[in-house]
Amino acid sequence: MIWSVSWRNIWRNPVRSGVIIAAIAVGMFAGVFTTTFVKGWMNQRLEVGVETEVSYIQVHHPRFSDNYDLKMSIENGKAISEKILSIEGVDGASPRIVLQSMVSSAETGTGVKIIGVEPEQEKTTSNLYTYISEGDYFESVSRNPVVIGQKLAKKLNVKLHSKIVVTIQDANGNITAGAFRICGIFDTGNNMFEEMNLFVRYSDLRNLISMNEGIAHEITVHLTGQDKLDRVKSEIAAAYPVLEVQTWKEVTPELGYLNEIGDMYTYIFTVIILLALGFGIVNTMLMVVLERIKELGMLMAVGMAKLKVFGMIMLETVLLTLTGGVIGIILGVVLTMITSNSGIDLSMYAEGLEDMGYAAHIYPVLETKMVIIIAILVILTGIIASVYPARKALKYNPADALRIDM
Amino acid sequence: MNVIEIKNLVKIYNDSEVKVHAVNGIDLNFQEGEFAAVVGPSGSGKTTFLNMVGGLDQPSEGQIMVGGTHVDQLKSSELINFRLRNIGFVFQAYNLIPVLTAKENVEFIMQLQGTPKKEREQRALELLKKVGLEGREDSRPSKLSGGQQQRVAVARALASKPKFVLADEPTANLDSKSTENLLDIMEELNKQEKITFIFSTHDQRVVNKARRVITLEDGKVISDVNRN
Amino acid sequence: MKTIFTMAWRNLWRNRRRTIITVASIFFGVLLSAYMTSMQEGSYAKMVDIVVKYYSGYIQVHHEDYWENKSINNTFDYSDSLVANIKAHKEVEMVFPRLESFALASSENLTKGAIIFGIEPEKEDQWTGLSSNISEGDYLSKDDKGVILGKGLAKYLKLGLGDTLVMISQGYHGISAAGKYPIRGLVKHVSPELNKMVVYMAIGQCQEFFSAPGKITSLVVNVRNNDAMHSALRKLKAEILSPYSVMSWEEMQPEIVQQIESDRLGGVIMKAILYIVIAFGILATIMMMIAERKREFGVMVAVGMQKLKLARILFIETLLIGILGVLAGIAVSYPIILIQEANPIPLTGQTAQVMEDFGFEPYMFFSSQSLVFTHQALIVFVIALVIGIYPLMAASRLNVIKSIRN
Repeated sequence: MIWSVSWRNIWRNPVRSGVIIAAIAVGMFAGVFTTTFVKGWMNQRLEVGVETEVSYIQVHHPRFSDNYDLKMSIENGKAISEKILSIEGVDGASPRIVLQSMVSSAETGTGVKIIGVEPEQEKTTSNLYTYISEGDYFESVSRNPVVIGQKLAKKLNVKLHSKIVVTIQDANGNITAGAFRICGIFDTGNNMFEEMNLFVRYSDLRNLISMNEGIAHEITVHLTGQDKLDRVKSEIAAAYPVLEVQTWKEVTPELGYLNEIGDMYTYIFTVIILLALGFGIVNTMLMVVLERIKELGMLMAVGMAKLKVFGMIMLETVLLTLTGGVIGIILGVVLTMITSNSGIDLSMYAEGLEDMGYAAHIYPVLETKMVIIIAILVILTGIIASVYPARKALKYNPADALRIDM
Repeated sequence: MNVIEIKNLVKIYNDSEVKVHAVNGIDLNFQEGEFAAVVGPSGSGKTTFLNMVGGLDQPSEGQIMVGGTHVDQLKSSELINFRLRNIGFVFQAYNLIPVLTAKENVEFIMQLQGTPKKEREQRALELLKKVGLEGREDSRPSKLSGGQQQRVAVARALASKPKFVLADEPTANLDSKSTENLLDIMEELNKQEKITFIFSTHDQRVVNKARRVITLEDGKVISDVNRN
Repeated sequence: MKTIFTMAWRNLWRNRRRTIITVASIFFGVLLSAYMTSMQEGSYAKMVDIVVKYYSGYIQVHHEDYWENKSINNTFDYSDSLVANIKAHKEVEMVFPRLESFALASSENLTKGAIIFGIEPEKEDQWTGLSSNISEGDYLSKDDKGVILGKGLAKYLKLGLGDTLVMISQGYHGISAAGKYPIRGLVKHVSPELNKMVVYMAIGQCQEFFSAPGKITSLVVNVRNNDAMHSALRKLKAEILSPYSVMSWEEMQPEIVQQIESDRLGGVIMKAILYIVIAFGILATIMMMIAERKREFGVMVAVGMQKLKLARILFIETLLIGILGVLAGIAVSYPIILIQEANPIPLTGQTAQVMEDFGFEPYMFFSSQSLVFTHQALIVFVIALVIGIYPLMAASRLNVIKSIRN
């Protein structure tokens, strides 16, 4: 019955309660939507990062990452790549040749990473081929084709079928150059990635640097799900103890980190909003207690234990807070569901965002976990805010409370 | 059989430098089924005295025994429980929880005692019938007249099956008709249930109805008239 | 007027606790918002600083085709008269030339792409303070035959003082560019990104390397601050025409502008929500204050106080709450922010890594510009004004008889 009493008490002053509930609703609506918005944003970045750029697991010669020295290669990289494919959870493996070099067009030049891939195998570990905006992925050009990022193409001022020259230091220390023809241009929305990476065929690149057939500098591994990450990593590491095996979290820690940071920031934001609301809630409940001092005195006189009185006030506060919270959360969820299909367009900030690697079209993502956490935070706020007013209520002696008039 | 035994009750207030003997040595006993009024002007110690009898205040000296228990020795938390199970209260005003119906208000006290739902409901309806409010069980206090509210309070006070009922100026806010009505009901219940009723009052009508009138002055009993 | 003010002030303190809690909520909001704004503006200023001071300068004059196509072929001749024309404008503080291009930098075994800056050592130093960032060795002297390397680049190439740097590139009109240069010094460039890629050389040497005698890619024009920049830009654009083009850093790096704007927008939204929530809380409090004193108001008007006067008192009470909150908030946030400004928070671990990857120093910078504070004051003032409408209406609608009776 205390639940009835507490709930009905909220509606004794509907306007006052309404204002507080509205405040909490607005705050939590913002909290939920910000969380889903940021989550969707970070998720996209993560997904693109893993599915397009880095893949789930990478395998290198242990000294390769020091200096990208091309001599630090995996001897039978291609064979190992085949073997890895048979591990459970793996649905793609791609051996690659990776070099740091300079690329130039008729107009200008710049430093890039050149990656020699076996197109069919590369398709199993990276969905880059789906981002081809012009041309195709190693189909049309037969001699020395190259797939280039849109930002880089712009920088070098080249188009489809233009010629570019790649200059590198080969295995013997000689500077050598090769001409490649652009067969495809990709647009991932991540300018940094587009500017720094160039894709050619494994065989063409290997010829250029005169290294043995079958070597690889990097093997990218694609999994059926994130949950398989650690297990597959340990399996590969056990099978090939001399090689360096890394998950995407180790290769680009910033990717995962940003995701976590994003979560943290939105929760902090929600907490701050709740703190701000806390002031209003405390004030309101103080008023409520003061108004009802005689009623509370009567309850204590008649035999209601102090703990129960405290609980009653706490319950009222929590219910008040939760009502606003639930309304706000529902509104936030609804907006999220609406926008998660159509997305939110930030294209006016496109250049700036893409430069940092973020897409300019955002799809908010709803996770049950978020909603639960926010709901819990709301309840906690109610509980904490109720302490001061509830204590005040208990301080009154029932006899005094009832006889205040006299 | 004494329901209440009061021996040498004293209450001293230390108000800055001056010591006030609000209650200055009272010896009284109440038996089962009494219908008593305690009267006295402001400053007579009536309020203080009844607060102690009702377990709302602790004496400085002396003892109060209710049904064999030393109320004066109970700790604050024990007092609350004691009141719940042994004393029924009817105040001048603010008796009821505004957001509960008449029936729920009567049930409330029983819920505090841990009585199961079915029994609570039954007893509440029964009591409300006894005070003449059959049909108004589902009304909230704001929909009831002053007299009706006080009757609900009486029903509530009896619901907990107390050793006695303490009524503090229950008629002060009522018109004459309602007062008469209320007093009749209380007298009726007193005779039926054999529960002691102790009134604190300025109202002559209450004094007239009472079968025992105790007068206080300066913290002492100056007259105790028993008309039984 | 004074009585109204005095009454309003005293009224606030009749219920100290409530007033304090309400003021505290504003204080909280102001403190947080000021801190957040300070952080944002601080990092923007730093971003702009890095770009302007250490990279592009406020304004650049280049060949009109250069920006679209940063080829060595789109250079122009250094002209004293052009420089004099530019300097004639009062906003212009400095003008100096640069020849900027790209080359492959190598040591014996390693090669990396590098950005080559041909500079006038003294003038460049005056603006960027490059010489003070020299970590080892010496700064360039005029017509120095040596080069200065970014520390990151030197580390990668495993080169140190006195070693020889080999550079290869494509020069003017396609002539091959090649040269060997002794390393004069190492610089710890402010931008971690540039640190890994930059080579400075005397402009004369640079021009020789690229077979582009007398040619420069840009004239860097510097002014006192961003405001001066806008006025100078207008004038210069009007005067300096084809075959030149004049661009501000905002045009050269719109991504930065967008990043700043989008981040600012995000901040605005968050602060808006915070303040809205606080505003609701204040409204609830004011409503309670008035409901509680209804009887008193009835009496006041009954004995002869004009409703308007009552309304004014209540309105001022509302404003005073806002003012107190703002003053308290600013009083506390100002010194904190000043201290933070002088002591930026060093970031560590992952956060630092991410910052550096994006080219920022791993610190949280703060700004103590007045707008950080004046904005909060303004917002709270507006909120108080709007909420103040409620008591105004309540006073005018007061029914004397009803309020006294209850």
